[in-house]
Amino acid sequence: MKDVMGLIYTGENDIHLGELTSQRAVAALPIAGRYRVIDFQLSSMVHSGIKNVGIITQKNYSSLMDHIGSGREWDLHGKQGLVILPPFLTRENMGVYSGLLDALKSNTNFLRLSTQEYIVLTNSHTVYNVDFSDALRAHIEREADVTMLYTRGPKAMGTEGENDTYLSVNDAGVVTGMEIGSAVPTRDCASLKIYITRRELLRQLVEQGAANGLHDFDRDILQRNINEGNLKVYGYEYKGLACQIDSIQSYFNFNMSLLRGDVRRQLFPADLPVYTKVRDDLPARYVADSQCSNSLVANGCVIEGTVINSVLFRGVKVAKNAVVKNSIVMQDAQIQEGAEVDHCILDKQSVIRRNGRLIAPAAYPIVIAKNVVI
Amino acid sequence: MRKKKCVAMLLAGGQGSRLGILTKSVAKPAVPYGGKYRIIDFPLSNCTNSGIDVVGVLTQYRPLELNAYIGSGSPWDLDLANGGVFVLPPYQTGKTGEWYKGTANAIYQNIPFIAQWDPDYVLVLSGDHIYKMDYNAMLQAHIAKDADLTIAVREVPWEEAPRFGILNTDSDNRITEFEEKPAKPKSNKASMGVYIFSWSKMRKYLEEDEANPKSDNDFGKNIIPMMLAEQQKLYTYTFDGYWKDVGTIESLWEANMDLLEMPMPIDLYDKRWRIYARTSGMPPHYIDEGAKVVNSLITEGCDVRGVVTHSVLFAGVLADTGSEITDAVIMPGAVIERGAVVRRAIVAENAHICAGAIIGEETGKIAVVGPKATIGPGEKVAAGVQVDADEQ
Repeated sequence: MKDVMGLIYTGENDIHLGELTSQRAVAALPIAGRYRVIDFQLSSMVHSGIKNVGIITQKNYSSLMDHIGSGREWDLHGKQGLVILPPFLTRENMGVYSGLLDALKSNTNFLRLSTQEYIVLTNSHTVYNVDFSDALRAHIEREADVTMLYTRGPKAMGTEGENDTYLSVNDAGVVTGMEIGSAVPTRDCASLKIYITRRELLRQLVEQGAANGLHDFDRDILQRNINEGNLKVYGYEYKGLACQIDSIQSYFNFNMSLLRGDVRRQLFPADLPVYTKVRDDLPARYVADSQCSNSLVANGCVIEGTVINSVLFRGVKVAKNAVVKNSIVMQDAQIQEGAEVDHCILDKQSVIRRNGRLIAPAAYPIVIAKNVVI
Repeated sequence: MRKKKCVAMLLAGGQGSRLGILTKSVAKPAVPYGGKYRIIDFPLSNCTNSGIDVVGVLTQYRPLELNAYIGSGSPWDLDLANGGVFVLPPYQTGKTGEWYKGTANAIYQNIPFIAQWDPDYVLVLSGDHIYKMDYNAMLQAHIAKDADLTIAVREVPWEEAPRFGILNTDSDNRITEFEEKPAKPKSNKASMGVYIFSWSKMRKYLEEDEANPKSDNDFGKNIIPMMLAEQQKLYTYTFDGYWKDVGTIESLWEANMDLLEMPMPIDLYDKRWRIYARTSGMPPHYIDEGAKVVNSLITEGCDVRGVVTHSVLFAGVLADTGSEITDAVIMPGAVIERGAVVRRAIVAENAHICAGAIIGEETGKIAVVGPKATIGPGEKVAAGVQVDADEQ
């Protein structure tokens, strides 16, 4: 067994995801036709041989807990397995985290009681599928204090940018500077907010930071220590596909990008399956007069109408003469007879009634909230 | 172990030789069906849904894939602290040890397994059929009649009755006679091979049968006639839902085609009676621009670029540009290359149909391409032919 544990923070700012996250954490947001965002972080940890994973939750974590259950689908139902760390109220702790550092401070007990030497710490809104083993090996070989995974390229992840962290990484791989939340970043290495460090070191940094009244992990801990030269912080370039899901547009674009075979192959290589909750739907059913083109369709769908350039999650029904174009349709939503949607995101169990029409401009997809009937 | 009211024993050891190349390397219950299932998912899910949570699976023939598929039993909620699914191969005791000689002997050899649950009843199942059945309703009927053995039956068309084991009953459904494949049937009640025994009686008759060296140790041939001869209380229980034998290539193909009927003759959408399966874990399937899918079932992980009509595609199938798949069953991981044509055929797991090959014909018997077999570019496989990867 590898001497490494995982910790996922799911309390990040999701203001630009609007309606999509009004009732759930980003981690629990349905994505890619049959997954939730957290499936990618969890599966990546499992691929890396991690057996002990903590998930720090903040708001509306019931849908997240329902999804994860005992962790069985990720093979995380073992002796160590999966620990959900909900917010709690004590005299020192209000249960509302103002950032990752705050959240870690509330959960230092989990860090203390875990036994692994190393820890992979991630956020919950970046989609990737990776085995962290190589990055961990580099971390150990370089005797780094902290290793930050990054991807290269301007606006690498097509995001809002408010909380993005960009790094300067020199030829030796050392992170020499950080830039956080700038509108026009001058550095080209985008942090994936995946950190590898020693469990004990993380605990010390968190406790010191909290003692000094600090809140922001990137700014107050990493940036400060890099500038003062107190920590050996290395960068590790991740060359695969990564996308930050932090706005309706980035959510829409990411799902649509999966209609491209090269993107699908990058995100779903045969040797790195992405695990998710099993639903026991039967295969998708196409009837005699259905039409489908350039679309991803999950099990349990029944297609009687027309589906073009769209992503259909499990159990979606597209009735006769209904048209679904350029849209993302989440679990068990229904598009009834003669209805038409274009550039829409239909949340779970939403219903577009007979002959309803919802046509949005490409640049601004309409979101129909969960359970809404139009 | 805590006492269980009813324990299920699933006979999964037969070769299923009538499925030809499809059961050359796997036991029949592990044969894929319906896009995402294997045959054994039906009896296992029926057990879970009926509240029966101890299932012994008796394996003998090619058990490797079946064992791996069952695993801990978690897909069927049968990974339990007190109960669950248990794979029971034949084993040695002292200086002796033998294969399962017959259906009754297979259960006889596992009397210690059953006894440890101290059950009142034992349900005997086979892994040959596609059906959704509430075994608990049958158990309640068994209890209400204070029966020693209850046999599930279907009322088959009279002209088909001579193909089945037929049970003749009185007006109270008490069995008076059992006839295996009678030329002139007196009843149309065909045995489904689903039995509920009261455990004490079952044990007694299994032990008596085993002591008879001339016995074939078979439920139909030996145990049932012996119980009838001794005036035991044997009743039928009529099941009238969808029930399909998938013991031959043709019937397996037909059972898959049945799922393309509207409405589906076996309702697999029923959320109160789910059929569970171990899943492939693949992403949703992709339908390309220019592809056409008509009246078909397509499973996760498929990549459809050709024309698929009235067919069932299992997980991870590639149907490349210009391929034409009609009235076919394409099992997991098979590749149908550009311009290949597949008609009235079963293409087994990980088979590879190269560009321009033609499998099957518009009429006639079902063509079968065996697991991992490759059909070269432009080659033809005629109706009724089975292609074996090992003989290539």
